[in-house]
Amino acid sequence: MFGRMILASTLFAAVPASAQWFKIATPGTPRTPDGRPNLTAPTPRGPDGKPILNGIWQMNGKYLQNIASDLKPGEVPYQPWEEQLFNSRQNGAGGRQDPAAKCIPGMPKLDALPYPFKIIESPGMVMMLFEGFTTFRQIFTDGRELPKDPNPTWFGYSVGKWEGDDWVVNTTGIKESTWLDNAGRGHSDALHLIERFQRHDFGHMDILLTLDDPKAYTKPWTVKEDVRLIPDTELLEYICVENEKDYEHLIGK
Amino acid sequence: MHGFLTIAMLVAAASASAQWLHYPTAGIPRTPDGKPNLSAPAPRTKDGKPDLSGVWEVLHNRPCPANGCDDMWVPQEFFDIGWSLKGGLPYQPWAAEIVKRTPPNRSGDPNSRCLPTGIVRMYTTPLFRKIIQTPGLLVILNEREVTYRQIFTDGRPLPVDPQPSWVGYSTGKWEGDTLVIQSSGFRDGLWLDANGSPLTGSGKITERIRRVNFGKLEIEITVDDPKAYTKPWTVKLTQLLAPDTDLLDYYCVENEKDGPHIVGK
Repeated sequence: MFGRMILASTLFAAVPASAQWFKIATPGTPRTPDGRPNLTAPTPRGPDGKPILNGIWQMNGKYLQNIASDLKPGEVPYQPWEEQLFNSRQNGAGGRQDPAAKCIPGMPKLDALPYPFKIIESPGMVMMLFEGFTTFRQIFTDGRELPKDPNPTWFGYSVGKWEGDDWVVNTTGIKESTWLDNAGRGHSDALHLIERFQRHDFGHMDILLTLDDPKAYTKPWTVKEDVRLIPDTELLEYICVENEKDYEHLIGK
Repeated sequence: MHGFLTIAMLVAAASASAQWLHYPTAGIPRTPDGKPNLSAPAPRTKDGKPDLSGVWEVLHNRPCPANGCDDMWVPQEFFDIGWSLKGGLPYQPWAAEIVKRTPPNRSGDPNSRCLPTGIVRMYTTPLFRKIIQTPGLLVILNEREVTYRQIFTDGRPLPVDPQPSWVGYSTGKWEGDTLVIQSSGFRDGLWLDANGSPLTGSGKITERIRRVNFGKLEIEITVDDPKAYTKPWTVKLTQLLAPDTDLLDYYCVENEKDGPHIVGK
């Protein structure tokens, strides 16, 4: 993981010179008189008055390394077995247990990747296209209920609805082997993930992530992750298995 | 590829419990008995253009072996994208050499290494893909590798000298009721079928997509790649709507055991 990230950011820096779509002007972006995107302009809204979340966004990278980086020590309400598991994964021990090390990103870690992602609203479904792993999530907004006893998947099953100006996404059915962050926090098959998307202005959004997983944590806990809009660019391609050299150097089984 | 069997079993097992795979697709015209009416007219978006949105699968044009169909029932084009052309594809000599070989001497298929399929093979895998048509952008979500492709319909030109990529760069515009997609900027080393028909970095692909009725897409694909082929060639593919279901996540690398047994480099 760590190696790829460095490599990918080098690539990212090298690309804009030749690939023009990475410098394309995003239509509908408010601009200052000098033509620069005005990222503190008001949140765009649709005909229904709800915030429009469309755009290319980038998560603060610290949450991938440590999803609890804004919490005080002791604030993560581990069940004893989960704390033990987490401790056993310190300093890279157990790196091979992370499905992302085998190029399967999975939720909830996918959300914390520091690469750009794109939100596209369409009737009945919102897509999140991720540059990291060139993968996607579908979040259904057609009013369907979460499935009762679904086959667990790497991304789970997600439905979204508006609560005031917050877009609230509920996800269940995530395979229990995925990690929350590179620090090695896990979860159980009972994980219910609640994401609250709050777009504060044109360029800034918070995602309040609540982890409700009574098997792994004694009570629901919430982290606030900050996301910024990346104007005038496009997603790059990121193929994890291409020339992958990390896995053999990871430890654990 | 050989992993297909395992995955197909997974797919079969998943259907029983994951209710969304039997979720009724909104907006499908139905016959009085509730079955999807796939010969109804193609739906249209607000601007009057055909709406290509839906979950799509291959046309099963390859007979099953005597002992029954494979779990992953691939079409003819999976093996030979030019199977419908008289005389086959107009290969350059080096490309003809690759295709002439038989496994295991025909090595180098990116799919065997769980690398991306590229945009042509995306249509010939027996897994599903989902098209979502939005203003300015058509997205194709691919069940295989849980990946996607973007086709910009906002009028932007293709980039002139882009960073080569597996899916290339695609723009689309409507000509009547046909969406015409131009793509270029591919990396070298892509295969268009399991026989090894190559696509090089100099290749350009044109897709002409028409939704002939509710249940069917006709896609005309033209490959213009003078490094691999002596002249441009065109094939027609059919995609059928898979109603009342959705994509699963399929990871080639999950529990992958083939790699060490594959010969060649």
